[in-house]
Amino acid sequence: MVGLDRWLKEVTRSLSKDSAAQVTTEVQEHYESAREAAISGGATAESAERLALAALGDSNAVNRQYRHVLLTSAEARVLRQGNWEAKAFCSRTWLKWAFLALPVALLLTGTAFLLSGAFASARVLLAGGIWMGLLLAAPFLPIYTPSRARLFRGVKWFTLLVLFGMFLFAFGPNALRMSWLATSCLWPIAWTEWTRISIRRKLPVAKWPKQLYI
Amino acid sequence: MNFKGTLPTLILEALVREPSHGYRIAQRIKERSQGVLDFKEGTLYPALHKLENEGLVESYEGIENGRPRRYYRITKTGRTALTKDRAEWQELSRAVTMILGEA
Repeated sequence: MVGLDRWLKEVTRSLSKDSAAQVTTEVQEHYESAREAAISGGATAESAERLALAALGDSNAVNRQYRHVLLTSAEARVLRQGNWEAKAFCSRTWLKWAFLALPVALLLTGTAFLLSGAFASARVLLAGGIWMGLLLAAPFLPIYTPSRARLFRGVKWFTLLVLFGMFLFAFGPNALRMSWLATSCLWPIAWTEWTRISIRRKLPVAKWPKQLYI
Repeated sequence: MNFKGTLPTLILEALVREPSHGYRIAQRIKERSQGVLDFKEGTLYPALHKLENEGLVESYEGIENGRPRRYYRITKTGRTALTKDRAEWQELSRAVTMILGEA
């Protein structure tokens, strides 16, 4: 079993705790069946274990395949964090309104800038307000089918691109120099979204929490 | 023999008659191909999970010889996908045979 334990350790590398437990159970079942079949075919206990292990294949290749279909520890963390945030956000009414006040404040400031003639800053603030509004109001919108979710995400990404374009426009020739600001703001969003795309691929729609729809 | 990409179709085919667990699916594919399609059995489960995520198979807990086992059965969507895959494979196979058969 030492060989199998080592093989399992390599195969479950970077997988979430639940995924690793699932892999361990199914591979152990498989290994036992293969070992018993080899013994009933006349092999000694030692060679049966060796044959059963060899039949499983290269642990690194199998690990790569598992990481494509089962949740990794990083993805499970994003999911856990998202669930916690959604729960905290939706269960406290004052917090919900406090968060929703942010985009409203941005929109109001943007309107004020617009009226005072600072069009470039106004555009960034207004687009930012719309995007933030979309993001923060999303948990309360009736998005619970994959088609509505796709539509919502399309609008969200389109607005984000518009926002990015406006950022470049607002800073004009300085946009490249200020790109660190946009990158540092967008990087966590991009990474979380990228992870969510991967999670959506791995979980059946029936098991999606609300955060995966938006 | 390398049959990369066709494993999901072979798994669906192995499940068409009756639900089965991973080990039996692997043995069935090897037996039916008379040992020609000899693949590493560790790769079977990621393929099964992918099929499950796509809704082509579903799994449930079963008992065999007093031991709990995870069984897989093909879904209606899985049968439709298999019919499509089979037709595509036959067409491809016919086309390749037409070319290689002439040599």
